[in-house]
Amino acid sequence: MDDVPILEVKNLSKTYFQGKIPVTAVHDVTFSISKGELVAIMGPSGSGKSTLLALIGCLETTDTGTIIINGIDVTDVPEKRLPRIRREELGFVFQHFNLLSTLTALGNVELAMRFSHVPKQQRLERAEMLLKNLGMGVRLHHRPTELSGGEQQRVSIARAMANSPAVILADEPTGEVDSATRDVIIETFKEMRSHGQTIIVVTHDPVVAEHCDRVIHIIDGTLKK
Amino acid sequence: MFDIIIRSAMQRKVRTILTISGIALGIFALVVMGAMSENFNQTFDKSMSLTSDKVRVFAESGMFGAGLTNDKVSDVKRVPGVKDAYGMLMMTFDDDQFGMSGKQVIGVAPEKSAKILYPVELKSGRFLEAGDTYQTVIGTSIAGEYDLQVGSKLELHEKNFTVVGELEYTGSFYDSTAAIPLDTAQDVYNVGDTLSVILTAPEDGTDVELLAKMIELNVKGTSTLSPTELQEEAGQSLLILSVITISSALLAAIIGGLSVMNTMLMSVTERTREFGVLKAMGAETKDILMITLGESALMGIVGGVFGIGAGGVAVYLLNSWLETKGIILFTITPRLLLVAMLFAIVIGMIAGLYPAYRATRMSPMEALRHG
Ligand SMILES: Nc1ncnc2c1ncn2[C@@H]1O[C@H](COP(=O)(O)OP(=O)(O)OP(=O)(O)O)[C@@H](O)[C@H]1O
Ligand SMILES: [Mg+2]
Repeated sequence: MDDVPILEVKNLSKTYFQGKIPVTAVHDVTFSISKGELVAIMGPSGSGKSTLLALIGCLETTDTGTIIINGIDVTDVPEKRLPRIRREELGFVFQHFNLLSTLTALGNVELAMRFSHVPKQQRLERAEMLLKNLGMGVRLHHRPTELSGGEQQRVSIARAMANSPAVILADEPTGEVDSATRDVIIETFKEMRSHGQTIIVVTHDPVVAEHCDRVIHIIDGTLKK
Repeated sequence: MFDIIIRSAMQRKVRTILTISGIALGIFALVVMGAMSENFNQTFDKSMSLTSDKVRVFAESGMFGAGLTNDKVSDVKRVPGVKDAYGMLMMTFDDDQFGMSGKQVIGVAPEKSAKILYPVELKSGRFLEAGDTYQTVIGTSIAGEYDLQVGSKLELHEKNFTVVGELEYTGSFYDSTAAIPLDTAQDVYNVGDTLSVILTAPEDGTDVELLAKMIELNVKGTSTLSPTELQEEAGQSLLILSVITISSALLAAIIGGLSVMNTMLMSVTERTREFGVLKAMGAETKDILMITLGESALMGIVGGVFGIGAGGVAVYLLNSWLETKGIILFTITPRLLLVAMLFAIVIGMIAGLYPAYRATRMSPMEALRHG
């Protein structure tokens, strides 16, 4: 493994306010992940898994602590630069897929590259290649409503990979699919790992965790050793 | 981003169509009202340019007041700087319409009719001549409405007149004017030797404004309107008319804009999650602005095109219907089209500003949690 981790999280904390009541979702979390690792984050509901992922993904501001992705301290970057970091260093896979319903499978994957101004021809070629690698070659021109849950999740995985991010963050990617599809997704992640892709998966499913290199347990916002 | 905009608008077809109709209706009103106002403006400009060299002399008590009679014409002529003066009687064309039709009868000295009407030329026939009595020279609108040619009969105030000449089209009030000999007019309308106005042509090189003052001083019981004063006075009422027509049309267009705003707010709220996803994928603020403002601008553009199209058709139909009555009420000018189109786009954009701002302000995580 590389000496320099691809992701370093140090003393990270985040407190929400529900009205006037403070809720500490993430408290003093420290860990690091090396390039090409497939890591699971597990913990009971409400323990702060999604919050942790959102903080790493620059979708939410941190209160204290630092997050270093691919050498960039993203907690010390002006807000203006965050979109660029999101598209260059990060890829997201959501539990509810979150595909744009008006676009086809190909359109959804290609869209991710538009913001980084990849030329159209190149975008389409790469999107098609990614979808084909995920066994979606015959579904390129289908809309999300015409795809099964498993197929939609594969489209969203292709979308997450579109810009070759340093880290892919997946929040319960198998939460809404059957066990056969879950196994396909696990295989896909392992395949991606073999190409050096770093992946963090939040999951409730022990089968998913089993296939990961490492499991990070979180309870009430803090890591359990 | 254009395909995303189109797809988003197409996804909510009914709502989009309703919104576009709102804008189109507003722009339609703007075009029709604007065309009316443009027509008034043009008629006024042409009328002014055709009579700009003459000083108008009225009775002191106003245009319909007593006191301005035939003998005042020679008084006016004696004022130094006056080249010639022509008495004129102006009456409404239709006795029963109180002049609402905009048509008028003017009584002029027949031997001077060519000079008085100058620079308007004849289309056919001749001007009035000395010795004419129940003869008339008519404008194109009157000729068109009553289907008259040289030789036709025209009834004015229960008397028959023979058309001896038709004027060229001018786009001014002359088009809806029938000129008859002054003596006959005073007889027929039973007004003795009263005049409505004395048109005064100044000598070359005379200061017209000064001349107007001189006439007022020298001829008792008169007041004058110099070309500039006339322009100011008429221009003011024209301005009020423009303000009324244009502002009612603007109001319609603004209501259209509010409906765009409402639609965009709904659309942005419904798509909160979508914007969250786009932000997670690294969309910049400007990308989000482009998508939202683009959609509202597009609705403005499409609404504008339909509104202008419908307005153009309506104006065309109205004009061709009115033409049979000898009236032209609407003129569509390039600047009107430009203003209407720009207005449609600007309304769309402005209406989209706040919804777009809301979309950019949402934190990505908040947006993703939404719904
Ligand atoms: N925007 C917010 N405002 C207030 N409280 C929040 C907000 N987001 C999360 N929380 C709170 O923070 C805590 C952690 O939430 P989080 O979504 O990270 O949990 P989780 O581990 O992902 O749970 P689950 O397994 O159910 O998805 C919860 O108590 C939650 O109520
Ligand atoms: Mg969660």
